[in-house]
Amino acid sequence: MIDKNLTIGSSVSLPKSELDNLLEDLRKMGYETIGPCLQDESIVYKGIVGLKDLPRGIQSEQKPASYRLIQSGKPRYFDFIPGSQSWKQFLFPPRQTLFTAVKDGRWQFKENEDQDHRYALIGVRACELAAIHVQDKVFLREDFSDPVYRQRREGLFLLAVNCLDPDETCFCSSMGSGPKHTAGFDLCITELDETFLVEIGSELGRTLIAERNFEFPSAFVQNAVNQSLEHANESILRKLDTSDLPDLLIKNLDAQQWTEVGKRCLACANCTLVCPTCFCWDATDSAEILGRSSVRERVWDSCFNPNFSYVVGGNTRPNIRSRYRQWLTHKLGAWQGQFGVLGCVGCGRCITWCPAGIDLTAEVEAIRAEVKA
Amino acid sequence: MTILQANLLPPTAVFPDKLLLPLWAEIIKVIPEAEGVITLQLKFVDPQVHDRYRFEPGQFNMLYIPGYGEAAISLSSDRESASGLVVHTIRQIGNVTRAAGRLKIGDIVGIRGPFGTSWPLEAIQGMDVVIACGGIGLPPLRGAIYKIIRNREHYGKVTLLYGARTPSDLLYPAEYEAWQKADIDLQVTVDRGDENWTGRVGVVPMWFYHFRVDPHKTAVLTCGPEIMMRFVIFEALARRIPPGNIYISLERNMKCGQGACGHCQQGPYFICKDGPIFPFSTLENIFNVEEY
Amino acid sequence: MLPTAEIHSALRKVPWFNGLTVDHFNKIANLARLRQVKAGTIFFREGDKQDFVYIVLEGRVSLDIFVPHHGKVRFCTAEPYDVFGWSSVTPGMRQRTAGAEAVLESTVACFNAEGLRQLAESDHDFGYLLMRRLANVVASRLMITRLQLIDMFARPAEIVND
Repeated sequence: MIDKNLTIGSSVSLPKSELDNLLEDLRKMGYETIGPCLQDESIVYKGIVGLKDLPRGIQSEQKPASYRLIQSGKPRYFDFIPGSQSWKQFLFPPRQTLFTAVKDGRWQFKENEDQDHRYALIGVRACELAAIHVQDKVFLREDFSDPVYRQRREGLFLLAVNCLDPDETCFCSSMGSGPKHTAGFDLCITELDETFLVEIGSELGRTLIAERNFEFPSAFVQNAVNQSLEHANESILRKLDTSDLPDLLIKNLDAQQWTEVGKRCLACANCTLVCPTCFCWDATDSAEILGRSSVRERVWDSCFNPNFSYVVGGNTRPNIRSRYRQWLTHKLGAWQGQFGVLGCVGCGRCITWCPAGIDLTAEVEAIRAEVKA
Repeated sequence: MTILQANLLPPTAVFPDKLLLPLWAEIIKVIPEAEGVITLQLKFVDPQVHDRYRFEPGQFNMLYIPGYGEAAISLSSDRESASGLVVHTIRQIGNVTRAAGRLKIGDIVGIRGPFGTSWPLEAIQGMDVVIACGGIGLPPLRGAIYKIIRNREHYGKVTLLYGARTPSDLLYPAEYEAWQKADIDLQVTVDRGDENWTGRVGVVPMWFYHFRVDPHKTAVLTCGPEIMMRFVIFEALARRIPPGNIYISLERNMKCGQGACGHCQQGPYFICKDGPIFPFSTLENIFNVEEY
Repeated sequence: MLPTAEIHSALRKVPWFNGLTVDHFNKIANLARLRQVKAGTIFFREGDKQDFVYIVLEGRVSLDIFVPHHGKVRFCTAEPYDVFGWSSVTPGMRQRTAGAEAVLESTVACFNAEGLRQLAESDHDFGYLLMRRLANVVASRLMITRLQLIDMFARPAEIVND
């Protein structure tokens, strides 16, 4: 409990039980603590109280179109790779009431009593944090700033976790977004069997740690952590060569491969739902049956939806081929010009959760091969 | 060709802190123009907003009909007109626009805007101007026509080519005489005429076969069905008008108007904020890609 | 029948004629007559078996078809320097498939098509130039017709959410 010369950048060794106290402190400060839970044979993000809610001894195994959880029996809380959900649902809610229009003689607005949210996200992986940074570029711009995103982002507390056991579908290292965290978190945990090694990333993080029963890490602990991180890096086998992106895709809109993948893609929109950077949305009006009021909502949308590109007289992308092409040439192409970064962080969710098992790293490689030939 | 900063005047018509919240406007006049097309003339309910509201020809508003939703509609007002009303000519084609067609004087609608880029009327001063439009493509150019008329001495020969399906589909016929008197060469054409029609029957792009243009000093402003614009561009390029002097107004599915919801993208552009007006030179690589 | 000098100067205004040799120009000019007509003058009707090719010099001529329940539908207009009645020059059709009516006060040059055909037969150089011009006329009409066929201003069949 003594402030032993902690600074931003220091690392401490924290007994795992102290995490419960840390989360309690966060809640006292008004945060909603959100973390991974085991549910429906997958990992979902929802409110957690402490260690008891985390998926202890669970590992994941991912392949194209496959996600499995395995009991490892190890005393680890963060051994798995996250499931279909990402943190984007907290900053950019899937469904959000904007306002209600009410006809009281004349039309008026009844503004949405927008509950302000202060989220503490527990267990954010490097790719997920990179995705938040990408979405910051989308939602917080000079010419347009999303007020919902802004409010939630400004109050966000990020407890990051380093991945030690990447799955087969991960390719974060190719995108420069992992597996190890570098910056942007309040606290960053690397987990060992007995202890958490916690790196302090912000003043708030430092204050919280200062209250806890921590030690400065021994050389043994430090060594074990470094080895784990090294191992994690080397276990990532899936690669995406980004050296010729975005041009490779943007300049080859007529590649035969698009037709090829268009035959396999079901346009189910799973990839856009699980992708932590996809940001398209729709605005809907739900009128009360007598027409005296109408609720305006913002909901997630997907460029795979058939009516996404409907204009008067027809659809500019009537075929699945053109919709898949739009998604990929945007994600790994146009995004760069629009926001200064590519839209992909290499989390691999789209590969795992595609029912047809379409792998965008393989698609890019196929186009590259076709162009070279 | 950037968004004119003047249009981002935050307090003018958009609530920056509330997503998609419109400002209320009252319908002052309803004018049936042709079958399935009406014009609404609107005034913001808040007089301070109405006084402050500014736009440039080519821009659009998101028009909100409670219970139905929003539609992106180009502004057709003549900015300097005495009434100062916000004018929208709307083709009834979907739920929202059909609901707009059922509105009456005194009804209230929501407006967000103005959004988008505008016709580059300053940049093309000193040039001959060919305005080639068809169908519902004339309303977005109406404000530009009046602005050119008011600054007529700054432009060379000005030709307005306007096509419609049949004579009864022609918009704003009562204004043609005034335009001609202002030294605009008006060439109207229809796809098919009835026995009372003594005007041209044909298509807009064919005009280029009848009249010579000086490719070095001609600017083309075109708006209408994309296929019409495609042929106008083709003919203009065939006459060696540089792609940078051809300006087109694109239309895509718009939900937010602010480059946020992703719907209106074509290639790297958000049509709502990087457009809808583009010089063709910026679109050359993507315009003719099928289904892009 | 207007004097030859007047015909010559009228034809010289049409760009195509200025590309002809003096010999070809004179031969074709001899086959021409000028007609000045009032609005409403009918040149030919559907089913007529007359044999002229026309060039509009001033005014406007509309081509029309009578469609039962729709009346007279004007599907094309010939503006100054446009050709109409071109099918006379082709070997095939001998019967008019549409009507032609001046909708404005107009001046047209009309050419004896039989004379043109004979001239093309005997002088293949001239024949080639004539057919080339004709091919352009037909191509341009085809382009217009295709765009009309696409009916780009028509309302779409289904109504979908805006």
